[in-house]
Amino acid sequence: MKIIVAIKQVPEREAPVRIDAGGKWIEEANIQWAMNESDAYALEEALQLKEKHSGEVVVLSAGPERAGTTIREALAKGADRAIHIACDDLGDRDALGVARLLAAAIKPENPDLLLTGLQSDDLGYGQTGVILAELLGLPHASLILHVEKTDAGLTVKRELEEGWFQNIELPIPAVLSMQSGGSKLRYATLMGIKRARTKEVRTLSAAELAAPVASSVRLERIALPQKQKSTQILSGTAKETAAALVEKLKFEARIL
Amino acid sequence: MSSILVVIEQREARISRISWEALAAAQSLGAQLSLPVAAAIPGAQTESLAAELAGKALAKVVRVEHPLLSAYTPDGFTSALEQLVRAEQPGYVLFPHSYQVRDYAPALAARLGQVLIGDVTGIGDGPTFSRQLMQGRLNGAYRHSGAGPCFISVQSGAFHADAVQAGSAQIALFTPTIEAAQIRTRPGEPFRGSAQTVDLGSAQFIVSVGRGIKGAENLPVVEELAAALGAELAASRPICDNGWLPMERQVGSSGQTVSPKLYVAVGISGAIQHLVGIKGSQCVVAINKDPDAPIFEVADYGIVGDLFEVVPAITEAVKAAKQ
Amino acid sequence: MILFPATLAEPQHFSLWERLLFAGLVLLSITLFWRRFATVLRKILQSKRDADFRLFPLGRRMWDFFWEVLCQAKVIRQRPLPGIAHAFVFWTFCAFALVTLNHCAVGFGLGFLSSTSLAGRAYSYFAAAFAVACAGGILGLFVRRFLVRPRWLGQELSWESGFIALLIFVLMATYLAAFFVADVSPAARALWWLHSVALLTFLPVVPHTKHLHLLLSPATVFLSRGGFSHIPPLAGDEDFGLVAGTDLTRLVSLQAYSCVECGRCTEHCPAANTGKLLNPKEIVLGIRGYLNEYGPSSAEPLIGKYNPQEAPFQCTTCGACEFQCPVGIEHLPILVGLRRGAVNTGAWESDHGSRLFLALERGSNALGLPAGDRDKFIQKQQLPIFDGSQEYCLWLGCMGGYDPKGREIVADFARVMNYLGTSYGVLRKEKCTGDPVRRLGNDLLFQQLAESNLEMLSQSKVKKIVTICPHCVRTIQEDWKEFGTPPPVEHHSEFLARFVSQLPQVQGQEKIVYHDPCYLGRYRNVYQEPRTVVAHAGELLEAPRSHERSFCCGAGGGLAFLGEETGERVSHVRAAELAATGASTVGTACPFCNSMFRDAFAARGEDVPQLLDIAQLTARGLPNDAG
Repeated sequence: MKIIVAIKQVPEREAPVRIDAGGKWIEEANIQWAMNESDAYALEEALQLKEKHSGEVVVLSAGPERAGTTIREALAKGADRAIHIACDDLGDRDALGVARLLAAAIKPENPDLLLTGLQSDDLGYGQTGVILAELLGLPHASLILHVEKTDAGLTVKRELEEGWFQNIELPIPAVLSMQSGGSKLRYATLMGIKRARTKEVRTLSAAELAAPVASSVRLERIALPQKQKSTQILSGTAKETAAALVEKLKFEARIL
Repeated sequence: MSSILVVIEQREARISRISWEALAAAQSLGAQLSLPVAAAIPGAQTESLAAELAGKALAKVVRVEHPLLSAYTPDGFTSALEQLVRAEQPGYVLFPHSYQVRDYAPALAARLGQVLIGDVTGIGDGPTFSRQLMQGRLNGAYRHSGAGPCFISVQSGAFHADAVQAGSAQIALFTPTIEAAQIRTRPGEPFRGSAQTVDLGSAQFIVSVGRGIKGAENLPVVEELAAALGAELAASRPICDNGWLPMERQVGSSGQTVSPKLYVAVGISGAIQHLVGIKGSQCVVAINKDPDAPIFEVADYGIVGDLFEVVPAITEAVKAAKQ
Repeated sequence: MILFPATLAEPQHFSLWERLLFAGLVLLSITLFWRRFATVLRKILQSKRDADFRLFPLGRRMWDFFWEVLCQAKVIRQRPLPGIAHAFVFWTFCAFALVTLNHCAVGFGLGFLSSTSLAGRAYSYFAAAFAVACAGGILGLFVRRFLVRPRWLGQELSWESGFIALLIFVLMATYLAAFFVADVSPAARALWWLHSVALLTFLPVVPHTKHLHLLLSPATVFLSRGGFSHIPPLAGDEDFGLVAGTDLTRLVSLQAYSCVECGRCTEHCPAANTGKLLNPKEIVLGIRGYLNEYGPSSAEPLIGKYNPQEAPFQCTTCGACEFQCPVGIEHLPILVGLRRGAVNTGAWESDHGSRLFLALERGSNALGLPAGDRDKFIQKQQLPIFDGSQEYCLWLGCMGGYDPKGREIVADFARVMNYLGTSYGVLRKEKCTGDPVRRLGNDLLFQQLAESNLEMLSQSKVKKIVTICPHCVRTIQEDWKEFGTPPPVEHHSEFLARFVSQLPQVQGQEKIVYHDPCYLGRYRNVYQEPRTVVAHAGELLEAPRSHERSFCCGAGGGLAFLGEETGERVSHVRAAELAATGASTVGTACPFCNSMFRDAFAARGEDVPQLLDIAQLTARGLPNDAG
C-alpha cells in the first residue's frame, strides 16, 4: 500500500506568542518548530499500516526551508521518502489554496491512501484533508482514530461526539483525517536520524505546481485574548460555593 | 446577497442544541445585514423537525429530503446541499460546528470554489468572523471577499440557543437528486467506547479523590458526586495503595494520564506525580481544606473548605442544574 | 630456629619414571589450562576496541592496582571478615609463587629454595605463616559458603567453589605437613606428589571457572575506565550502544570474564532486593554467557537468550553494584549500554518511556508540563533573573521548577542565599539537563538537550551554577562534557556547608536522619557537607545503610518516570528503614528522593517522620523576615 502523509510544521506548543508589526501574524524569529500533533498521529498510523501490510510511506509537506527539519523527523521515524513543496507564502493562501498546492503534488503519485492530521495546532482550520478529498475526487472520512485494511478497502473507526464512535467502510484510494490519540506515538531514535540522512527528499516549487494564490477568505488581524487562565477561588458557605461553581461550569467553562 | 441559509443538524431525531445556537447566530447576522434567514434541514424524514423550526422567526424552512440522507454520509450531504445552495443562491451559509459539519462542509465549500470559515466564536461589523488560533492563545478576525456564498460554522456555546426568536415560517420541500452509487462510504451504527472496563483515559468527566477522604468508608461522598455528574471515579496513588480503590483508577505518573473536560480533585493536595497525570484536563476544580495545597495552582476553580460539607452541596447543586 | 623448630621436607632423588610422569602431568595441566585461557583471551582481544580508552595517565591506574589488588582494600572494606580471609588467600598465592616454582623445580632435581640455606629456610617459614592464614581463611570461607549461605551467593550451592576450596586447602595442608616429616621419608614423597596433583589440577580449573578472576581481575582493575558510571561516547555512525556481540568492547568482555560471582552487586542492588528481575551479577554473567556461545563477532542481539530486555530497564543507576565490585567491573556502562542499544534502535517499547521522550522532544521538562508553569513560579517567588552580573546561576531543574515540593526547596534555598547576601539569578529558560534520557540510553535526545543547554548557558554568560538537584549536578558536570565545556556546578549542600557557620542555629535538638542520595554520594563523593548542614539544624542520625552503602530511593535512572514497579517499591523499603531509626525528621538532599519518600510516607499513613530537604532545615533557623 502506498500511503502519503501530509504533515505541517507548526510553532512548538510552548512557543511564545507575540504579534508582529503587521498585526496579522506572530513573530517567528525566536520560535522553535515542531511537527503538528495530529499529523504525527497520521504518520504513526501510516507507519503501522506499512509495518503490517508492507508498502511505502511518503511524507508531503508545504512550507519554507525550515520545514526540512520536520520532514527529516518524519523520515527518522520511518517514512521512506519525502516531497517538500518549497513555499514561502503559505500564510497568503487559504485552506483551499494550500489544498490545491498539495493536491497538485499528490496527483502524479497516485497513492492508495492519503492521511492528514485532523487540524493544525497553529491555524486550526481542520479542513485540509476534507478539501483534498474533494479536489482529488476521492472518498474520505475525518476524525479517524484507527484504520484497518480489509479485502474491499478500509474499515476506519471514527470519533463522534460525547464518547460515541462509529465504524465506516470505504474503498481505496481514500483520504482520512486522523484524530490525535488513536495510537501511541513512537519516539525519535538515533538510528532513525542517521538512516534518514540517506533518504530521498524531492523539492518542488510552488510555482511549478501552478496553484493559484488567490483566496476568498482573509485573516484581517489577530489579537491576544483578554483573559489569561488563573485560579478562581470561590468562597462562601458550602451551599453558596456549590451554587457558584455549578453556575461557572455551566456558563463560563460551558462544560455542564 | 439575497439571504442567509442555516443548515440544521439532527441528532437522535431531534434538533441538536448547537443547531439552535447556529440559528441564533444566523438571526443575529440577519439583523445586522438586514437579510432574511432560511433554515434547511437535511434528512430522510424531516417533517416534524421542520414543523418545530417553522415556529421560529425565519423566512422559510426547507426540508432537504431524500431516502439516501437517512444516515449521514459526506457524499450524500455534500451533493444534496450543493444542489440546494445552487438553487437558493444564499449570500451566507451557516452551520453548527459539529463533528458532522467538519466532515463535509469544507468539501461543500470547495466544490463551490469557496472556503469555510470554521469554528466561529463571534460575528463583528463588516461582517468579520472571529475564531481562535494557536489553540486558543490568539483570536483572529476573518473576512470573506469575492462573489459566491460565504460559508460559516459556529462554535458550540458561542451563541445562546435561547436567543432564537420565535415567529412563523413556511415549509418548503427540496428533493435533491442523489444516486446510490455516488455514496462511496458505508457508515456503521454508532457505539459507545469500552463501557465495561474503567477507561479513565477517554472519560469526559472525572471525580478524583485523595487522602483528604480519610477512609474508605467515606467514599460514598465522592461516589454520589460522580454519579450526579456522570463522571468516572478516580484517585491519587495513596488511595489505591491503601486498597480503597482499585489500582486501575489511579491517576498520575504511575497510573493513568487523563484528559477530561472536567476534573474534580477532592482532597488531593497535588503532588507532582498526580499533577503530570491531569495536565490534559480542560477544566480542573479543586476542593481542599489547605489553602496552600499545590492543586490550587493548576485549578481553574478552587474551593477551600471541608470536603464533607462542600462535596454534598455540589452534588445537590449539580442534580438541581441537570433537572 | 626458635619460632618453628621443624624444617620443610624436600624429597630427593626422583626416579626417571617419576620425573617423566611429572613432566607429562605438567604438560597436560598447562595444555588444559591454555586451551581454555587462550579462548577467553581471544574473545576479549577480538572484541571491539574501546574508542575512548587512554592508558595514560598511569598514576590513577597504578594506585587502583596497588590499593584494590595488592592491598585488597575494597574486598576487605566492604565485607571485613570474608574480605580478610580472601586477602590472606590472595597474599598467600603471591607468597607461594616462589614456593610453587621451587616445588616444580624439585621434581626435576633443580630445587633452589633448599631448606639447608638460610634464605630458603627463612622463606619457607614466611610462606608457612601465610599457608596457615590461608588454610584458616579458606576453611572460614568454606563454612560461610556451604553452611551460612548468604543469599547473594545464589540459591544453588557451587560445587565448583567447594572443589577449589578443597584444592587450596590440600595445597596448604600438604605444604605445612611437610614440615613434620623427614626429607627422605616416603611421607615426604607422598606429600610432594599430593601437592603436585593438587597444583596441576588447580591450574586448568582456574580458566574454566569463575576463578579466572585470579588472572583477569588485576588487569580489569588496572585497565578500568575510571570515573564513576562513566558512559563512553558512541563511536561513529554505526554505534548505537550494546546491540549485538560486535558492540562489546574489550573492556566489557574483559570485565564479563572477570566476574567472580561474589554477589556483592546483588547484595546491594535495590532492584534485586525488591523482587525485580534485574540482578547486576546476572547481567554480567549474561554477557559472559553470550560471549561463550556467540562470541564478539556475532550479530545476534545481546538482549535475548542471556539478558531479558526488562532487566536493564529496572536499574535505578544507583551505582551500588559498580561501587562494590571488587574486581573492577563497571556495571553502569554495561546496563546503560544495553539500554542505549534498545532505545537508540527503537527496540524498547514502553508507554511511560515514550511519553517521557516525547515530552522532552517537544517540550522543555521531563514532567511534560508547560514551560509557563515555571515562569509563574519564578514570578510568584520573585526570583531574580540571571543577567550575567550575578555570581551564581541558580539552576532550578525540572523538580525545582515544576514539582510543588521541589519549589519549596528552591524557595527556602533562595531565602538562605538572600540572607547571606549572595548574588544569584535564575535563567529565563531552562531545559531538562537530560539526566533521565541519558540514563535510559536515549543518546539523540540527550545530545539535543545538552547542546541546547550549553548554548543557553554560554549566551547567558554563566560562570558558576548551584542547584538543589544532584542529578542535574552530575549530568551538567560530567555527562555534558561530551558536547562542550559546562561551567563549574555545585550542589546546594556544598554551598550551604561553606556558609553554615554564618547562619543562625536552629533551636532544639531534633533527631534528623540523613539519606545519602546516590548522585551526591557515590556519584560525587559528597558525604560530609550535607551532614554538616544537618548537624547545624539538629542531631544527626545515621541510617543503617549510609554513606557509600546508602540504599537508593528508587527514582534514578529515569525510573521516576517509568510508572509502577514490579515487586516491592524501592522507596517504601528505604522509607521504612529511615523511619525505623526513630528520627522525627528525614533529611534529604535531592528533590527526587524527597518526592519518592513523600509518596512512600503517604502510603504508610499518619505516624511518619516529617520530610525536609537540607535547604528547608537550614531556612528554619532564619528570622521570619529573611528573604
